[in-house]
Amino acid sequence: MSGLGTTSPRGTNSGDTAAATELPGPRADRSRSIDPTTLMRIRNLQLRARTVVQGFLSGLHKSPYHGFSVEFTEYRQYTPGDDLRYLDWKLLARSDRMHLKRFEDETNLRCWLLVDQSQSMSFGTLGYSKAEYARTAAATLAYFLTLQRDAVGLITFDQQVREFLPARFRSGHLQRLLMALERSPGGESTDLSAPLEQVSRLARRRGLVVLLSDLLVPIAGLKNRLAWLRAMGHEVLILRVLDPAEITFSFKEESLFFDLESGRELWIDPVAARGGYRQRFEQHQAELTTVCRDLGIDLHDLPTSTPLDRALFDLLDARLRRTRAVARRQGTGSAATGGGAR
Amino acid sequence: MSLLVPFFLAGLAALSLPLLLHLVRRTPRGRQSFSSLMFLEPTPPQLTRRSRLDQVLLLLMRLGALGLATLAFARPFLRETASLSVSDLPGRRVALLVDRSASLQRAGAWTRLLELANTELDSLSPQDEVALYAFDDRLETVLGFDAAPGEGGRVPLLRSRLKELQPGWSETNLGSALSSLAAELEASGDAQQSTLEPQIVLLTDLTQGSRLEALEQFEWPARVRVLVRQVPVDPSTNAAPRVLQDAETAGLDKVRVRISNAGNSRQETFSLGWFDTQGRAIREPQVTAYVPPGQSRVISLAVPPAEAQAAGVQLTGDDHDFDNRYYNSPQPRRDVTVGWLGTATADDTNGPRYYLDLALTNDPTRNVRVTPLESASLVVPGNEPTWRLVVVTDAVTEEPAARLRQLAEAGAIVLAAPVDLAGAESLPRLLPGLESAAAAPPAKGGYLLLGEIDFTHPLFAPFANPPYSDFTKIHFWQSWKLALRAPGEGQASPTVSSPTVVARFDNGDPALLEERVGRGRILALGAGWTPRQSQLALSSKFVGLMGTLLDLALGETVSLPSLTTGQPLPLPTAAVESGCRVTTPRGTSEELPSGTSQFGGTQTPGIYTVTWGDQTVPIAVNLSDLESQTTPLEVEQLERRGVPLGSVPPQTERLDRLRQLRDQELESRQKLWRWLLVGALGLVILETWWAGRSERALVPAETPA
Repeated sequence: MSGLGTTSPRGTNSGDTAAATELPGPRADRSRSIDPTTLMRIRNLQLRARTVVQGFLSGLHKSPYHGFSVEFTEYRQYTPGDDLRYLDWKLLARSDRMHLKRFEDETNLRCWLLVDQSQSMSFGTLGYSKAEYARTAAATLAYFLTLQRDAVGLITFDQQVREFLPARFRSGHLQRLLMALERSPGGESTDLSAPLEQVSRLARRRGLVVLLSDLLVPIAGLKNRLAWLRAMGHEVLILRVLDPAEITFSFKEESLFFDLESGRELWIDPVAARGGYRQRFEQHQAELTTVCRDLGIDLHDLPTSTPLDRALFDLLDARLRRTRAVARRQGTGSAATGGGAR
Repeated sequence: MSLLVPFFLAGLAALSLPLLLHLVRRTPRGRQSFSSLMFLEPTPPQLTRRSRLDQVLLLLMRLGALGLATLAFARPFLRETASLSVSDLPGRRVALLVDRSASLQRAGAWTRLLELANTELDSLSPQDEVALYAFDDRLETVLGFDAAPGEGGRVPLLRSRLKELQPGWSETNLGSALSSLAAELEASGDAQQSTLEPQIVLLTDLTQGSRLEALEQFEWPARVRVLVRQVPVDPSTNAAPRVLQDAETAGLDKVRVRISNAGNSRQETFSLGWFDTQGRAIREPQVTAYVPPGQSRVISLAVPPAEAQAAGVQLTGDDHDFDNRYYNSPQPRRDVTVGWLGTATADDTNGPRYYLDLALTNDPTRNVRVTPLESASLVVPGNEPTWRLVVVTDAVTEEPAARLRQLAEAGAIVLAAPVDLAGAESLPRLLPGLESAAAAPPAKGGYLLLGEIDFTHPLFAPFANPPYSDFTKIHFWQSWKLALRAPGEGQASPTVSSPTVVARFDNGDPALLEERVGRGRILALGAGWTPRQSQLALSSKFVGLMGTLLDLALGETVSLPSLTTGQPLPLPTAAVESGCRVTTPRGTSEELPSGTSQFGGTQTPGIYTVTWGDQTVPIAVNLSDLESQTTPLEVEQLERRGVPLGSVPPQTERLDRLRQLRDQELESRQKLWRWLLVGALGLVILETWWAGRSERALVPAETPA
């Protein structure tokens, strides 16, 4: 578990691609990770996800953290008045003892993947776009969770919700989810309020909400929605997908810059504009971090040059801390805020 | 250097294209898509760089390649000789051919024709030679090519001559005029070794009455071209009357009048009446006729009383008056007696006389009477024979034969057509050149035909045309074998000539013999014409043959019921012998000496009066029917008859063509365009290589780190 604690300083707001790609810790071993450029050459989304997850698992088996995602169920002796739905009939048949399976339902994770498909996500300088990277990351997570028999739901959105799949665990659901992800994005601008509202309306049970977006939006509107989700008891994990060029603004040629979402054009000399850009970008990042920390939301930067198992690691990290928080809460009986921007 | 197709230089406008591209390309290259501009502030661009051209060398190469290609398309060449001048060109020989036929008497037609002629004169270039010709039924040179140009120049002289011209009353013989003029132009060109381009400018109203048949036989000279300027005539109605003179109405108090309405007429109802010698209309009788356009109708019109002094019929109700009057001068029928020496009577339908009477009495201009003769009455008083025509069918003895020969010498015609063997055997008495005459053996198929006919003989001349020359339907069952003496054998007197064979049977035997005796002739027929002997009398040819024989005997070759303007007026025999005076409708008169058989001055329609001794004969001369056919004719009709239409282009145009031709030759010899294209291609290759090199140099610099 101590290894997790060392992940905190990784490139959240550095804006430097080189810095962002260097992952410390045992799962950041680059020799085991698959280069995203190579990965993106695989056309089939499921195959991509499987490749990442299998690589991740092969590494995971050697780690001391295996099995924590499977919640241990305890048996409680049946007392009259208990709901018979939770009675373990098989055990009854085998040992003639009546026990209830406790917390089995709660231990099954309900995860909502919110994937941003707006025009700003179509930007990319590495041969693939941020949207492509985000889709692959979402597919990877969905595949991994399905393997763990967790229910996964999907919402793709731009300024409105494009695709919606409720969180389920059943055969064929993963296929549907991957197909929904593969549909090309037709969006324009980003508006996070609609999908977040949709999630808060549909996800009545508590679960994990994973938001894959570049979050290039004003912070103010975002804060309310995220707070709402948190208030409903959802765990929120934000994986901020960014192109390295967005972090460093490494352009050299003086050009007419064209905003992919608004269509606005600006004549920019990158050399002159770089300082101001990075300053404003970091300020935005800092505000975002503050908001997330205040709300107890995990925020992880995911530059598109980073291997994709990093997203899995972030997910497990979030889950682990949640488990710890729950354990702590159960142990101490006090409510504790979990996670925080890292 | 000159250019064959300078029009292609407009392609030089394409040179602006690379220039524009070099300026425009800056914008796309400087465009960068970015996810969001929310963290960016605009940086003002440095405007000084926008107007600068990048890649000047590339630009120059592209401009050069385009320029060379454009120049290649313009086909440049280097001139070797001095430019052409007008003197290098053959001139034009323009013959203005003006129609002055009667149809141009229509209102306004002549004025328009003169306007057209003046327009043509205006369009002439100074180097052109020009002559003026006029035509109606014949061609007349008004001002030839050789005529002196006059003081004010040739064109003013032509204009004044043109003004003097007036439309006449003759018919249009366009074919003859065109062919004569074309032949003249061709001949004069050949004679003068001229290189002038002959051109006929035809100014006419080109009606359907224009006779074109002369063009059918004419081989049109290839160089002579005809430019037709058709006088525009408003659509109007034109109809014309014509009195038909025939045996049916001869001597009755009515005439038959044919009214022809032109094809383009708009009216159909006309009224027909008479006019007197003063030209005033006679009120009664008058009839109304309905004639659809393009058709003709024959109607009966009562003859007014003699006091009214009718000169002809006139039609009213159409738009053009020039052909509305038809002059009519009914000739008194002349009494003619034909002598008959034979036993057959006039009422014997099997005898030859019955058919002779029938053939001769239907003559519309003569009252012919066949009178039986006694051989004793065949006396020739003085030089004038009593009988102009004597027909002999029976055998003649020596004495009457001698008298008949005397009669023939005096100018009569004796026709021997023996009905029996005795008559045939007596033929040698009449014709000493005949050795014998006997009954011919039966023919092979049972009958004989006329196998060989001399159509140059006056008797058969009217049948010379192919539609009438078929005598094969006349079968001869009984004929006489007439044997001619060999030349010089047993001739009693050197004055007696051997008879000539006018027609032969198909077995080679003579069918008709003729001997010229003095002023007359003796004819011997080798067969009879009665139905028992042959089909001759029952044939329609018999009437014509007998009529022609009578004409021959009377010395009147043709007896025209009516003459048309321009035709020579044949004078009566008596008037020819004694000399006469001809008075024209205009009142002028002309004395003609004896021996003059024709009067040629029939220029205007009207009644011409021939006076000799105490006799006066009125003869009507009318407008030709053809002139009344005023429906316009398509110009293509001329082309169908081999007349090349179109104009010889004016000198400047021909000079341009010659120049163009010479330039083309030079250009095709030099072929500079190939080198220019090679240069353009070379530049394109160089440009591609250079551009690729520049691109490779640029690409790494533009990629973001």
